Amino acid sequence: MKVLNIVLNGKAVTAKMGQTILELAREHNVFIPTLCDSPALEAAAMCRLCTVQVIEGKWPKFVTACNFPLRRDAEVVTDSPEVRHGRKLIIELLMARCPTSPELQRLAVDYGCDLERFAPLNDDCVVCGLCTRACEAVTGRTLSLAGRGVAIHVDTAFQKASEYCIGCGACVQICPVNKIAMEDVDGERRIILHGKIASRVKLPQCTSCGKHFGPVIDLQQVMERMGEHKIPPPNASVCPECSRRNLAIKLGKRYFEQYGVFEDEEGQANAG
Amino acid sequence: MIEATQVATSPEVNKITSPAGLDIFRKELDSKLDPNAPLLIVCCGTGCQAAGSSEVVDKFREVLSGIGWGGKVIPLVKPTGCHGFCSRGPLVIIEPQDLFYQRVTVDDVEDIVNKTILNNEVIRKLQYKPANSKEVIPRASDIPYYAKQTRLVLKNIGKVDPTEINDSIVRGSYSALAKVLTRMSPDQVIDEVANSKLRGRGGAGFPTGLKWESCAKQEGTRYVICNADEGDPGAFMDRSLLEGDPHSVLEGMAICAYAVGSNRGYMYVRAEYPLAVKTLTAAIRQAEALGLLGDNIMGTGFDFKVTISTGAGAFICGESSALMASLEGKVGRPRPKYIRSVEKGFRDCPSNLNNVETYANIPDIITNGGDWYKSFGTERSSGTKVFALTGNVYNIGLVEVPMGISLMEIVYGIGGGIPNKRSLKGVQTGGPSGGCIPIPHKIPDINVGYGKLAEAGSIMGSGGMIVMDEDTCMIEVARYFVNFLVEESCGQCTPCREGLIRMREILNRITQGDGKEGDVELLDEIGNFTNNFSLCGLGTSAANPVLSTIRFFRDEYDAHIRDKKCPAGVCKPLFHYDIEAETCTGCGLCKTKCPVKAITGEKKKTHVIDQSLCIKCMECYKNCKFRSVKIM
Ligand SMILES: Cc1cc2nc3c(=O)[nH]c(=O)nc-3n(C[C@H](O)[C@H](O)[C@H](O)COP(=O)(O)O)c2cc1C
Ligand code: SF4
Ligand code: SF4
Ligand code: SF4
Ligand code: SF4
Ligand code: FES
Ligand code: FES
Repeated sequence: MKVLNIVLNGKAVTAKMGQTILELAREHNVFIPTLCDSPALEAAAMCRLCTVQVIEGKWPKFVTACNFPLRRDAEVVTDSPEVRHGRKLIIELLMARCPTSPELQRLAVDYGCDLERFAPLNDDCVVCGLCTRACEAVTGRTLSLAGRGVAIHVDTAFQKASEYCIGCGACVQICPVNKIAMEDVDGERRIILHGKIASRVKLPQCTSCGKHFGPVIDLQQVMERMGEHKIPPPNASVCPECSRRNLAIKLGKRYFEQYGVFEDEEGQANAG
Repeated sequence: MIEATQVATSPEVNKITSPAGLDIFRKELDSKLDPNAPLLIVCCGTGCQAAGSSEVVDKFREVLSGIGWGGKVIPLVKPTGCHGFCSRGPLVIIEPQDLFYQRVTVDDVEDIVNKTILNNEVIRKLQYKPANSKEVIPRASDIPYYAKQTRLVLKNIGKVDPTEINDSIVRGSYSALAKVLTRMSPDQVIDEVANSKLRGRGGAGFPTGLKWESCAKQEGTRYVICNADEGDPGAFMDRSLLEGDPHSVLEGMAICAYAVGSNRGYMYVRAEYPLAVKTLTAAIRQAEALGLLGDNIMGTGFDFKVTISTGAGAFICGESSALMASLEGKVGRPRPKYIRSVEKGFRDCPSNLNNVETYANIPDIITNGGDWYKSFGTERSSGTKVFALTGNVYNIGLVEVPMGISLMEIVYGIGGGIPNKRSLKGVQTGGPSGGCIPIPHKIPDINVGYGKLAEAGSIMGSGGMIVMDEDTCMIEVARYFVNFLVEESCGQCTPCREGLIRMREILNRITQGDGKEGDVELLDEIGNFTNNFSLCGLGTSAANPVLSTIRFFRDEYDAHIRDKKCPAGVCKPLFHYDIEAETCTGCGLCKTKCPVKAITGEKKKTHVIDQSLCIKCMECYKNCKFRSVKIM
């Protein structure tokens, strides 16, 4: 594998062929802000916040660190005045969309943003596309980017509550500005987008404890599984809590029954 | 009686099985042509069709068939593609005399047959008279609009019947393909194209030879794709080529395929071009039937199959990565890949994407050589370019000129100058990615080429050219293009989406009289940011119309913001009309033209406008012969 010689903010470092600038920067503890990047998803380079300057030939050019693959020896400047100024504008423009996001607020302080310049456009979404990409990887069709021109927004097909959602909550967990909510009410799980119910998923009832339950998917796990195969729709008849307890009981029985500890729990253990 | 349907289709024509066979076939077709036979060429481009030219063709055929010809040759009626002079359509040209008739209607047909065809008598009222002249110009080739053009890529348009392949073959179509298949290696083809210095006509002006060379170097399946998405407002160069001379484009693609080692082609055509799709579909079928496209072309073993795909009807689908995504059936949004499509494009395979006009130039470059092509144009911009000339100019339509031509010559020599006694303020080139060139006041003139246009803050683009007179408000021009992009951007990346929204917001307030001190600086800041930080070519050029008008017409921005005045009299809240007492003759024309009776005054006395009634419709301003109505 060819090793590349990169000058990263004035420091000579080496990079692997094809490595992104963001990966290299993280390796060397150089912080580059990102909004739409997730290591588990293919880069979409939509927010442009990670823009840096790279010089491969004569002239510096602006590129996005999250998806720019290093293929030649180069010089990378991650924090030039031009770069900082562009990021400042991105944050100002997005803060006008989504003023309540702690993530953006923090960045606004870092970049000395002037939050009076742009009148609020309250849309509450920064169109980073993470939810749609996560959802696409999980179900392929619940959330997508819709709308013509600058009116682009996250939506379900035909703006109707979607039937394809599996209630995995990946979109909820991944949104950098926390704009997607999830509620479990009356035996159904609701995904709430722009204050509207985007999908309803009938939650199965636990045959063990009788409670409704939904798939609680740890994003890390979702991410790991995405790209390999789709998450299967929830079909187990026992809620995760009961499964865990029942498994514990089963294991307990196998190893400790001989000591007569589990006699009282007999009924529940059988139900599992 | 001799039928003059010289190049009739014969369904049982056999496949051409060798390059030499094409030559024999062409000579055979040629021998059947009678150069003295009368020929009625009727323009059936989209513009003339809209004005009724199809009916004119039918009527000609009906009238001609109802006459006893007594041994005379029946004239052939030939429908062709756009002649480029659409504002005068429907056009009819009568050969061999080269008589030019304009605005021909169905009612004129009998007259043309009885007088001109049978008795050699010209019909004056159908003849062309240049603006401000009383002399008619009878012959098409003498009309300055045509005479001052250099038609290389458009040479067949208006001459061939695009629905009939033999008519193209007789004029040499597919002979360049035959030449490369028999006498040139792929490398030699690429060298010839590189030698011609042809640059892509789709906008960016990338050297075509270099692109082909990079594509040829790749491994595996390669695709040859033609970009016919043509989305610039007002542009119709590519449509004319597809509708008027489809075989030159197809032949160019086939030559490219041979050069880069591909046997699969796609034509991505804008959905709003149904006639182009129809013409192309028929052209491909006819070429395949003759063995000039498809499998085993001319018996040489070379295969090249072209498929037409209709676009999603979006401007952004003309961007190369969005086009490939759309071709793959995905949403047509640019992909954020730092890899060129010649390496990884359609279906992740190496793909050579060129514009329609780029491909259409290829056959002649092969036939006549790169040196010949280079003899037109300039050192850095070789050959010719087709422009869609429009706006405040007499002659509106398609013009093909050598690169390096003076812009003033295009406006005055070919375009015929500015109508309504107005003066020239500037020329916009490059469409929504371009800029306004302030000729003749701030820049006296420029030579039209890639470099010179860029120096003037504009771009060549795909060939849009809008002439603007003194009544044009430059802030309104910038606003028009920003509004176009607000609709046409794909919206996925922050700088382009939010930048366009804010530029629109600021331009709106300036034109409504609410502009603030600092707005121009803010526009400039956002514009430079959008141009540097956006994901694709749309965003990185989206601010050009704004930035170029700021650069050259800053005074106009200041007038709007500081003085609350629109000097051009366009932004309604920012001006009013007044009649100048010194020059008003009291003719009363304005009074009769005013739709709301806002003008009063006695004959031969100064007239007055009641501002509370005036709706600023411009009628009095346009009509006053003494230019006494002033913008205040
Ligand atoms: C927003 C956008 C729209 C475009 N539209 C077109 C188009 O309609 N036709 C075209 O040929 N090229 C268009 N282009 C340029 C193409 O991306 C590409 O550069 C071109 O087709 C390459 O062909 P050429 O080298 O022959 O010019 C567009 C580019 C952008 C960024
Ligand atoms: S919860 Fe529903 S909408 Fe959200 S990612 Fe999962 S499947 Fe998609
Ligand atoms: S809802 Fe959240 S994750 Fe989805 S696009 Fe908007 S900001 Fe990004
Ligand atoms: S620059 Fe504009 S058109 Fe291009 S990807 Fe970004 S939003 Fe879409
Ligand atoms: S601009 Fe129109 S409405 Fe106003 S005075 Fe003139 S003609 Fe009348
Ligand atoms: S993180 Fe790179 S563009 Fe959003
Ligand atoms: S359509 Fe007839 S001249 Fe253009």
